[in-house]
Amino acid sequence: MENGKNRKYTEAPIKVLLAKPAIDGHDRGIFVLARAFRDAGMDVIYAGLLPTPEEVVDTAINEDVDVIALSLLNGAHLTAFKNVIDIMNKKGVHDIAVVGGGIIPDEDKPALEKMGITGNFGPGTPLKIIIDHIKKRAREIRKLRENEYR
Amino acid sequence: MNIDNLIEGILNGDNRSIARAISLVENSDPVSRERIIKSIYSAGNAKVIGITGPPGVGKSTIIGNIAPMLSDYGKVSILAVDPASPFSGGSIMGNRIRMQKSLSRKGIFMRSTSNRLYNGGLSEYSWDIVKILEASGSDFIILETVGSGQSDIDIMNIADITCVILAPGLGDEIQALKSGIMEIGDVFIVNKIDREGSYIAIKDIRETLNLSNKIKTPVIGINSIDIENYDKFLDYIVNWNKKNYREKYVRKLRQIVLEEIYNKYSYYIDNMDYTEDTLKRDPYTTAEIIIDSMNKIIDKSTYK
Amino acid sequence: MEDYWKLKIEGIKNSFKNNTEYDKWKENVLNPWNKKTHYNEKKYKNSSDMDIRELYTEDDLPDNMDKILGNPGEYPFTRGIYPNMYRGRLWTMRMFSGFGTPDDTNKRLKYLIKNGETGLSIAFDMPTLYGYDCDNRRSTGEVGKCGVNVSSLADMERIFKDIDLSEISTSMTINAPAAILTAMYFVLAEKNNTDLKNISGTVQADILKEYIAQKEWMYPPEAHLRLIRDMLAYSTKNVPKWNYISVSGYHIREAGSSAVQELAFTLADGFYYIDMGIKSGLNIDDFAPRMSFFFNSSINFFEEIAKFRAARRIWATVLREKYGAKNPKSMMLKFHTQTSGYTLTWQQPLNNIVRTTVEAMAAILGGTQSLHTNSYDEAWALPTDDAVKVALRTQQILAEETGISDVIDPLGGSYYMERLTSEIEEEAYKYFSEIDKMGGILNAIKSGYIQKEIAETSYRRQLNVENNNETIVGVNRYVDENEKPINTLKISDIAENGQVRGLRDLKNKRDNRKVDETLDRLREAMRDDSINLMPYIMDCVREYATLEEISNIGREIYGEWKEPKIY
Repeated sequence: MENGKNRKYTEAPIKVLLAKPAIDGHDRGIFVLARAFRDAGMDVIYAGLLPTPEEVVDTAINEDVDVIALSLLNGAHLTAFKNVIDIMNKKGVHDIAVVGGGIIPDEDKPALEKMGITGNFGPGTPLKIIIDHIKKRAREIRKLRENEYR
Repeated sequence: MNIDNLIEGILNGDNRSIARAISLVENSDPVSRERIIKSIYSAGNAKVIGITGPPGVGKSTIIGNIAPMLSDYGKVSILAVDPASPFSGGSIMGNRIRMQKSLSRKGIFMRSTSNRLYNGGLSEYSWDIVKILEASGSDFIILETVGSGQSDIDIMNIADITCVILAPGLGDEIQALKSGIMEIGDVFIVNKIDREGSYIAIKDIRETLNLSNKIKTPVIGINSIDIENYDKFLDYIVNWNKKNYREKYVRKLRQIVLEEIYNKYSYYIDNMDYTEDTLKRDPYTTAEIIIDSMNKIIDKSTYK
Repeated sequence: MEDYWKLKIEGIKNSFKNNTEYDKWKENVLNPWNKKTHYNEKKYKNSSDMDIRELYTEDDLPDNMDKILGNPGEYPFTRGIYPNMYRGRLWTMRMFSGFGTPDDTNKRLKYLIKNGETGLSIAFDMPTLYGYDCDNRRSTGEVGKCGVNVSSLADMERIFKDIDLSEISTSMTINAPAAILTAMYFVLAEKNNTDLKNISGTVQADILKEYIAQKEWMYPPEAHLRLIRDMLAYSTKNVPKWNYISVSGYHIREAGSSAVQELAFTLADGFYYIDMGIKSGLNIDDFAPRMSFFFNSSINFFEEIAKFRAARRIWATVLREKYGAKNPKSMMLKFHTQTSGYTLTWQQPLNNIVRTTVEAMAAILGGTQSLHTNSYDEAWALPTDDAVKVALRTQQILAEETGISDVIDPLGGSYYMERLTSEIEEEAYKYFSEIDKMGGILNAIKSGYIQKEIAETSYRRQLNVENNNETIVGVNRYVDENEKPINTLKISDIAENGQVRGLRDLKNKRDNRKVDETLDRLREAMRDDSINLMPYIMDCVREYATLEEISNIGREIYGEWKEPKIY
């Protein structure tokens, strides 16, 4: 592997925070995603269970991730995902992408999209589709950030 | 935000600036890295605490416990290095899981980083990241190594105090005794002393240290469940004198210079015009000729 | 101890004969046929990664079959724990239900009783399962969503309004705050003038599998185990028909384990509770008969049946040989089964009825004591009335139309079934040995070993699905492009608002001085490990102290659990 010399920022491994930002212990899927993202060459931070939305955002900032991937299977996505977005807005964080997944009925998707949460993948979504989407969002974010430091 | 703002942010201890600067150092071209490090190099004065030891001994748990205690004595930052997968280059960094709550309560900055298959237990830019954390006003920087055990020896080049964590019952103490990590420890911590075999583990470590003339090196048994003996551990960290700065500086300088030389001359060697004569000659002799020609260049210049 | 497991593994290995018959047939008949028909042999595996042959013969019957099989009602109970099994008493049709407010759930329970359900099973929402009240900021958006919300005794009173607790048995799926919910149920019975001696039911209270799989915990293991110990001692004495623990593999399986892992980790948990009971001074034959189990029935039909049979055999053998139990009832593994939630698909949901039916059949052929069948819409949401009815009718059709329950263990003696049962048993013993090497199940959990084993299995399976090595109809094969969404149960925020308002009123109405007094007494008692906390918790409950107020005493004293890192 390239040991990092003369690498472009846009090409470095994508960094993703996986989080379940509510009271929800169903973590089978999040571990599958963690493994799959790693095997797709990403650096994955797993927030552990029961993080508060504040902890999710703080972790995302400190770790400087490109994408926050939120997942809930307990039906609380509309409230809980929004909490995360609200805190990001309050802190002025606009250069981290937020992607959602879980048991999300079709009728909730427009509301999530409006908050800026994309993907919103349901059960049975092939991993490749999720990974491609994360990569796409991360590329957008990296472009945005790179322009800041030129 | 541009790099100047970023540098100002680091010096003011702004988490977002620190975090972004670390990303640039890790991921970006050498130009940004050099600009950042040059600007912040002399700022700050932190004690760097290395935490190393085999997998499963409870390094993260210990850091999660000791970091909040340490924050009563000054600002604490944490850098945890995780191994990358040799197949994909990706990594899963789960060190925060056990620490998150206590970090949030005390406002401690923590960063996870992948070793990106770099050997030695740290990542390629760990030293640069430590510099950034130092410039941000940290008094203590806790640096957790990959934890593969034997090969985690880079830590001694960066840390002021290296703590080797071991636990009884996993057979790790035996591994440790055999391997190099006995050499690098300034303090030895035996975690999980509620477990069977901890007395023997402590005794074995003590004896091995005595045999290698490290009679004064402390061995502390702790228990992370009820925080037993953490006060002793904390005492050592707080009262430990910083390492000889010159020694560390020279080591780092040596590394950077070697890398620079390598970067500069590897291209030259790869693309040299090799005549038939050269190809017939043994490579050792050719190497000597090339080095000789380089020496002539160095002799002419005036380094002080 | 390790030696005991090794002995068992050796014993099973030695009971297998050479497959002379199969080898001969393969060489003379199968291979030429495959060649002629250009059939490329490929490996068949079950969920536990075991190789499955195309044919089993008489050689596959273990040579000590008479000893390890036994007749129904006889040690080691491989064929069933009761002599007449379903002829004497059909399995209990127990549908796990609970959603929204206690009133919503009360209505659903009565609906199910009216439709022929024979036992109650309560599902609680996430805040309740983690010991938070509905008015905690963290509960926002979750109240009543995954089950019914219970913040105080007042909610329990509403759930069971006009239901006679002495008439029907109740199962409560609650673990971390199990002692509190149990206390509520006991106090509720007292208030209804029902003698505690006459109430019956089960509380899950299996905290080990929470750390392994379901991840609904509050305190570190030692604290929860103390509460389980206290419940165990209290009910052994005062509530004779109460089953105070249901050792659960269901969630282990749902978290992604294989059938063998489900079996091995669940029984290992069971052995831990046996050790705990003995350590607390109880006689094994006094408490072991009241332990019950809860398994998953998944989609690989024969593997599941073999798993249930192996479970009975292992439990009986180990309790008798290793623990010296004398009472046959201690050795009988009673279990509840739920069909697999994981196998339900979001795509083409009506297909789920078929999956559930097959899984229910495996549970019945495996000799379950009670059964929950999932509803076809549960990959989407909690089930609607109509969907639940189909699920219940599935059981009724199997019981009353098909005749599959007429004969006990009808697959007993099948070459494949007996071989598979023995092999699954052997694999479980290997895990027991492995776990002992790690210093027991508690250490294996704390170090994250068990969790990682499960996560790895789950990831492997997911890759099999992704690569089309494993088919899920409607998901990676026979996909419908234009699927229409189905009607699902919606739980409006009205439920949450109502609960929050109700709790506020309660806090104004109750005698808050008395609440504080009982909580203070509980706090003091908790500091002394030798005190049984059940009476203290019941005192708090009686004064309408809330679930969270009571849970917080433990959080103060024991702290909160932090999960180990598994990657």
